Amino acid sequence: MPMVLLECDKDIPERERHIYLKVDGEDTRDFLPISNAPTIPGTLSERGCSFCGAKLVIGGVLKDTIQMIHGPIGCAYDTWHTKRYPTDNGHFNLKYVWSTDMKESHIVFGGEKRLEKSMHEAFDEMPDIKRMIVYTTCPTALIGDDIRAVAKRVMADRPDVDIFTCECPGFAGVSQSKGHHVLNIGWVNEKVGTVEPEITSKYTINFIGDYNIGGDTQLLQKYWDKLGIQVIAHFTGNANYDDLRGMHRAQLNVVNCARSAGYIANELKKRYGIPRLDIDSWGFNYMAEGIRKVCTFFGIEEKGEALIAEEYAKWKPQLDWYKERLKGTKMAIWTGGPRLWHWTKSVEDDLGVQVVAMSSKFGHQEDFEKVIARGQSGTYYIDDGNELEFFEIIGLVKPDVIFTGPRVGELVKKLHIPYINGHAYHNGPYMGFEGFVNLARDMYNAVHNPLLSLAAIDIRGGAAATSQEAAE
Amino acid sequence: MGCEITTKERAGVINPMYDCQPAGAQFAGIGIKDSIPLVHGGQGCCMFVRLLFAQHFKENFDIASTSLHEDSAVFGGHKRIQEGVMVLAQRYPDLRVIPLITTCSTEVIGDDIEGNIAHCNAALKEAFPGRKIHIVPVHTPSFKNSQVGGYSECMLSVIKTIATHKGAPNGKLNLFPGWVNPGDVMLLKRYMREMDVEATVFMDTEDFDSPMMPDKSIHTHGRTTVEDIAGAANAIGSLALARYEGGTSAQYLQTEFEVPNTQVNTPYGIANTDAMLQAISRITGKPIPESLVRERGIALDALQDLAHMFFAGKRVALFGHPDLVIGLAQFCLEVELKPVLLLLGDDNSKYKKDPRILDLKAKADWDMDVVCNADLWELEKRVKNPDYQIDLILGHSKGRYVAIEHNIPMVRVGFPTFDRAGLYRKPTMGYQGAMDLGESIANTLFAHMEFNKDREWLLNTW
Repeated sequence: MPMVLLECDKDIPERERHIYLKVDGEDTRDFLPISNAPTIPGTLSERGCSFCGAKLVIGGVLKDTIQMIHGPIGCAYDTWHTKRYPTDNGHFNLKYVWSTDMKESHIVFGGEKRLEKSMHEAFDEMPDIKRMIVYTTCPTALIGDDIRAVAKRVMADRPDVDIFTCECPGFAGVSQSKGHHVLNIGWVNEKVGTVEPEITSKYTINFIGDYNIGGDTQLLQKYWDKLGIQVIAHFTGNANYDDLRGMHRAQLNVVNCARSAGYIANELKKRYGIPRLDIDSWGFNYMAEGIRKVCTFFGIEEKGEALIAEEYAKWKPQLDWYKERLKGTKMAIWTGGPRLWHWTKSVEDDLGVQVVAMSSKFGHQEDFEKVIARGQSGTYYIDDGNELEFFEIIGLVKPDVIFTGPRVGELVKKLHIPYINGHAYHNGPYMGFEGFVNLARDMYNAVHNPLLSLAAIDIRGGAAATSQEAAE
Repeated sequence: MGCEITTKERAGVINPMYDCQPAGAQFAGIGIKDSIPLVHGGQGCCMFVRLLFAQHFKENFDIASTSLHEDSAVFGGHKRIQEGVMVLAQRYPDLRVIPLITTCSTEVIGDDIEGNIAHCNAALKEAFPGRKIHIVPVHTPSFKNSQVGGYSECMLSVIKTIATHKGAPNGKLNLFPGWVNPGDVMLLKRYMREMDVEATVFMDTEDFDSPMMPDKSIHTHGRTTVEDIAGAANAIGSLALARYEGGTSAQYLQTEFEVPNTQVNTPYGIANTDAMLQAISRITGKPIPESLVRERGIALDALQDLAHMFFAGKRVALFGHPDLVIGLAQFCLEVELKPVLLLLGDDNSKYKKDPRILDLKAKADWDMDVVCNADLWELEKRVKNPDYQIDLILGHSKGRYVAIEHNIPMVRVGFPTFDRAGLYRKPTMGYQGAMDLGESIANTLFAHMEFNKDREWLLNTW
């Protein structure tokens, strides 16, 4: 009976179809959690909204672009200082957020004039910045403000600026995933092919679905440089707006995050015939495999092998030191979606870590197919897990460490379980060879923190074990 | 010379100082014991606010969403409310209060909140006979006011919904501290104990700083109970410490139940704390004890070492919640700091007539700007202007890059302060808060002198 109805879900039995326990000997094709489905209200789900999927995850990463959010102030405030994607230009993207600060009169009479004025002001106040993305939000979508028309007018008034519009209100779709899709498709429809990039190498790629979390993009860039491969566009880590307008000129699309950016890779293939190559950038085995695939495509296998050998010589001893000490550690992953299948096998192969439970906020069917194929038996695979389910699953699998966001991290701390920031990393980057050593180091430091064993002690003596049992 | 009170001229906002109304409503809602706010809107409206609270308090708070999806935007979100309430009631058996918080989307759609609550109440009565869950309607469209108004609105709705009738006098004082840290709540509760006054704090957020316990139990929740709220109508009086955060609730209790309300200056600094304690003494008839006279003396003694040697004439920019900014400006004057820029971050028209601001204006014999509906770009522009010298910034973490980029010492105060450790635990109010803040300012200035090698030798003999 691999689909599981948890005790806490007895009043919402439809949750059974979202939780899968992989069992040896059963055909996993018979069981796949429902995913990308509406959230049950009041469950304390972990999901965000589709606006954030567009602005916070993808668009807001760009290092030279004004992010104009057309709506009340909260949508701007809330998607500011909640991500770690630095840039090589002093983190312009992290320092600022822009809002039209919609008020009631604009809801009644329309907010287009307000938007137009705010756009001009933003360009006037920051005269060096010439690029902008405008986002709708729930209320401006509901009242039907035509942000595309406004953007056209502003571009007509200011010939040196370029503006992209993203119409993705928070209520669209069931999670942030919808926002990824809207931005991907909008961008390829309107902006790809409008700038001709300078080609400096025989070998060109787009690196898609990597947002320079903790410096990931910048770390991987060292590999591409060594291989003599030109990255025309990073979608969107450490990227400029205009880099992404030249994506049509790459020979190959290398995709890391297939969930948030697989769409644009597919469209580039359809429209421009650029092949799509999916790789995993986390973990030694995977990263080496990814480099080999890319190099095979270009016929530069020797360069690839030389790079891998060099990186292994440098980092593998350190990884092995941690592997020796992490072997058998039980890990849970509660993140967005793809990191479940990126990580479950890489931590097992490279570090001897057992992933015992995984929950995805916005993964789709293909994400679950992948993670169940790669993951272990005896492991729980959960779609859109909620707080009470997390408590129950923790009781069932007793993880030693949980990769999740900081808020849930604060919650599990009370249960004496350390967390690692699975979204933004503790001390990244985590991609590549060096990055996976960082991940191993952070996991080691978390699991071996002496405070955790101190927390379990009841200084009154004797009572600790009893009360602990009572709590479980 | 003098004070000018203006409003930001730009329409748009670059770097906001406040979040929107529903965020403030959620903060008030989690201050109640056995309460889970249910935010009626898109999932981001609750998810990011939970993250914000976690960033500031380093704690998780339970807040639910009706998870408004596209179909609800077209057909209305009634079913999402009803299902959300029922799911919460079923899965959280101790739940007693659900603040039902609207957002911009659901106010634009026009969902009938009161009608849905009536429906939910009937359904709950049938499903859970003998169990009372208070569903509180909180109308907080994001396109009005800000987190400041949302906090006040939720507080008022909670009182209106639960404190419904006058009973026997309970001899207690209603204390409305405003949107403050657990450190302030703990300080105020200590003052009440020292004065032998029984008080109810709206909301008691002491446990927003909660422990890791050997039995792994979780204590992160508000402490103000349903009984406390119902009892607000029977108090001997209300004391409102913040005009814009809870002041309206105290007024309502006076109008509706004849609970006399006293509005005092927010107790930042020595004189404002004096006035608060004297007001408590007046309302309750209890004397101010020796221990507080002594604490006051220690604070004065400590601040005296700093004021005219290090602080005098330093030009300070302040931003944050209105009651905090105004109160801190008054504190600045006590310690000879010069508040030259006060930024208030929403379009509340009452700020310009606030008696405390008018008093500052009357006193100002230096240039002072008060900017209403301000954003942090107003701060950054002035900081960049060489003629507009700023020596110190007092504000929350959203302004951190202004300080970092322009090498200006900044002391974190207010909400949120996610880029400094443990500030939520420390009081800013009262004598102790004034002393702690003064010493933080001094130590920040001292570290700045050292890192910039700016007369750091002064400190050799201090």
